Amino acid sequence: MFGFSTYEYDSDGFRECNVTGLSIHKSAEDMVKLYGLTAILALAIGGAFAVAVALTRWEAIGLLSAGDFYTYLSVHAWNLLIFWMVFMEIAILYVGGPFVLGRRLSLPRVAKVGWVVMAAGAVLVNAAILLTEYPNQAPLLTSYVPLPSSWQFYLGATVFVLGAIVAAVPFLATLWNHQQENPSKTLPLVTFGAFITSIVALEALLGGLITYVPTLLWRVGYFESIDPAFYRQMYWIIGHGSQQINLLAMITVWYFLTHVVGGAVVASQKVSRAAFVLYLFFINLGAAHHLMSDPVVSAGWRMWNTSYAAYGAVLASMIHAFAIPAGLEVGRRAKGKAGGLFGWLWSSPWDDPGFSATILSIILFGFLGGITGVMMGQMQLNMTWHNTLATVGHFHATVATGTTLAFMGLGYYVLRLVFGRDWSLGLLAKIQPYLYGGAMGLTVLMMMYTGILFGVPRRHPSVMDIPGTAFSFSAAKPFFAVFGVAAILAILGGALFVVVALASLLFGEPFDGGPVGDVQRAAADGGERTDGDGKAAHAYSMRGTFVLCLVFLGAFVTLWALNWYLLSTIWQIGP
Amino acid sequence: MDSPITAPDGDWWSEKINRRESIWLGISGVWALTLFGWMLGWTEFGAQNQTGETYEVSTEALRQKVQTYKQSAGTLTVDGEELLVPAENDVYVGALQWGWDGLPAVLRPGETYRFHLGSYDVQHGFSVRNADNLSQQISLQVLPGYEWVLEMTFDDPGTYHVVCNEFCGEGHRSMHGKFVVQDYDESAVTAPEESENGSGGDADYGGWFTGDAAGGATENYDGTTVDETGADQVTVTVGSDGEGGTAAFDPPAVSVSEGTTVTFEWASNNHNLLVDSQPDGANWGGHEPLENEGFSVEHTFETGGVYAYYCEPHLGIGMKGVVEVV
Repeated sequence: MFGFSTYEYDSDGFRECNVTGLSIHKSAEDMVKLYGLTAILALAIGGAFAVAVALTRWEAIGLLSAGDFYTYLSVHAWNLLIFWMVFMEIAILYVGGPFVLGRRLSLPRVAKVGWVVMAAGAVLVNAAILLTEYPNQAPLLTSYVPLPSSWQFYLGATVFVLGAIVAAVPFLATLWNHQQENPSKTLPLVTFGAFITSIVALEALLGGLITYVPTLLWRVGYFESIDPAFYRQMYWIIGHGSQQINLLAMITVWYFLTHVVGGAVVASQKVSRAAFVLYLFFINLGAAHHLMSDPVVSAGWRMWNTSYAAYGAVLASMIHAFAIPAGLEVGRRAKGKAGGLFGWLWSSPWDDPGFSATILSIILFGFLGGITGVMMGQMQLNMTWHNTLATVGHFHATVATGTTLAFMGLGYYVLRLVFGRDWSLGLLAKIQPYLYGGAMGLTVLMMMYTGILFGVPRRHPSVMDIPGTAFSFSAAKPFFAVFGVAAILAILGGALFVVVALASLLFGEPFDGGPVGDVQRAAADGGERTDGDGKAAHAYSMRGTFVLCLVFLGAFVTLWALNWYLLSTIWQIGP
Repeated sequence: MDSPITAPDGDWWSEKINRRESIWLGISGVWALTLFGWMLGWTEFGAQNQTGETYEVSTEALRQKVQTYKQSAGTLTVDGEELLVPAENDVYVGALQWGWDGLPAVLRPGETYRFHLGSYDVQHGFSVRNADNLSQQISLQVLPGYEWVLEMTFDDPGTYHVVCNEFCGEGHRSMHGKFVVQDYDESAVTAPEESENGSGGDADYGGWFTGDAAGGATENYDGTTVDETGADQVTVTVGSDGEGGTAAFDPPAVSVSEGTTVTFEWASNNHNLLVDSQPDGANWGGHEPLENEGFSVEHTFETGGVYAYYCEPHLGIGMKGVVEVV
């Protein structure tokens, strides 16, 4: 498909990837290309709108008027939080399923139908936002009732959700067929992760239908009104659930890329899989943290859902936070690429953008996104985070640094291993993850500072000038200056990825399939419980990972204590 | 050793777990329990818990409650501004596009107030901060159809600013209110007026300016109609100070001669002009699009009679006017 590929298939439509050793069928590969490129297109659109959004919030520039700001912000949000992510996630399902299992994609026509429906929904949502007319308002991401958005917007959202459900079916059918033929075989870890991702995704998407179908009926006049409290609870099933899909897909990509590029192995099948199962049961309930400062749900409901449920998921994340670097550490120690505490890290292929993007994704997601997510998910702390710019900082840390970097890393390897094109603009490709990750990390920190320390609200085109009052947030100005510069650098870093991807597709040398990273053959040890010396994974030292995790825990505890201290300085609220 | 992209053979379930990985699992479990226990403990021992009763209430009933609260409140002038002094320890705040009805108010430090938060139209965010210490700030969601009652006690005197931090339409960013926490002398408080609802005025235009007609009562209408008959140039300011923000017509009622052109000048953002009633045969269309400061529109009134008009977003707080053509 697209004619960019340099690979040839045998008469059955299969080819063997000589980097991963996977047997890849054309039916799956075509769809990975289609969904992957569509995702990158959404990234480019959402990123272009990010320029205007950032230059407005940096009020020294103050680019857009209020009305335009809300419209641009809506386009930015939908393309990056939803379309870039979900198209890429479908591609990841097709990699995690058919690629890894060495099978054809079952029901390939359904995959095409799914793409058409998703694309139609995405185009309709974008058009509806851009053509919004009074009394309708820009929907932003949340389109909270009863503030009206156009019925075309709700229709587009519904169509997109339906399309994503359809697109997941071929993945599930592939797994179903595989299990029918191999009833006693364990799924590879990456496939297992993709499978759990698909279940979590289906829960979220069903929530989307419960949200958008009644709202659409309300907008066309069938229902007179919709209870805003009902809407909020239903909406967040998809609103946060869709971001949980990102999380699970990202973690699956972490396992995949640390293995392919860095030579990681599975530190413990049992522990990693148990963590995925914890996600399956708990992570979508964690979405309740959006209602922590809401009037309608009881304190008991709020505590229950953000404690037993969220901590089940937090526990799972902390397990992956250990298991993934540990897999890398063991893999590299076993291959003799390590010495001392951190030798396995120093010797890693840091100039490979697939590797550096993955590691930066892990670090930035954990330290910036994960910790803050737990903070704002504690009921009382939520009052200080709710709807401030710090919230926006949190989800840019998770989605814009964490998931986006992981997907960029995957994108680099899709170029090589799926399109068979090596990266053009070599040096730029090497620095791209560092530029993007570093600048976005700084942007995110500034958002958090302005939100928590100054209470700057989100979704405001200007906070230095509130009409009709002398009050303003001008104390936060220096932070906004750093924010503005960092945001522009981050957008440039993101644009650089799109440029490298396009240049590689069009002008890239054929990728010869030689070793990637610094591992001769990533799948070398496949299947054996012990390596050549009879040594199992658990017998290798994980001390480097352990130290890194303790540093992480230290940061976690410190930030947690600081947040509670800040809360304790506020006036008395509640009984 | 297993690769994550191949199916593991053999009995992987009973394989040992590295000692450090086991320790980390234990640490993580203990940490999760600590997070949970602390949150639970804070409800008992902490001073900041956003818990309180919630009542279902229609937006109309809520509007009435806020109106009653305002009528029973005294006033205190602080720095040239009239602030409401709650009669009891209940403070009603009605959020609307785009203002905070029931504010500004003055509250005593150390006193426990019950805040009644609700909305007249769409979702809003009640985001409060101490102007002297911006990191003392909280945000609470406000939903139409629900009234949330939360106790609050302020120890630090000062001005507390309220902005909306839930997107509520084009004028979202202009939504600002405040309350002042300071001790005051009871004798400085002006008692609430006994008579309300436009009684005692010269003309009442069928009760148009009272809370009985559409929307809230028009507070800046004191019963007098400004007489501009004979003048060739008449101007009405749209969105001048009043009605708890920048939501008033000034003058609210004006009489002009037939054939006079009246210019409506916008002094603040997000207002429009909709005609509620006009004489038979008149064809004033008002001005429906929301406009901002600096905009102006004019209309020549040819037909004699009473033209009642209002600003759509601010009807709820009584942004109503009359042009009487004689």
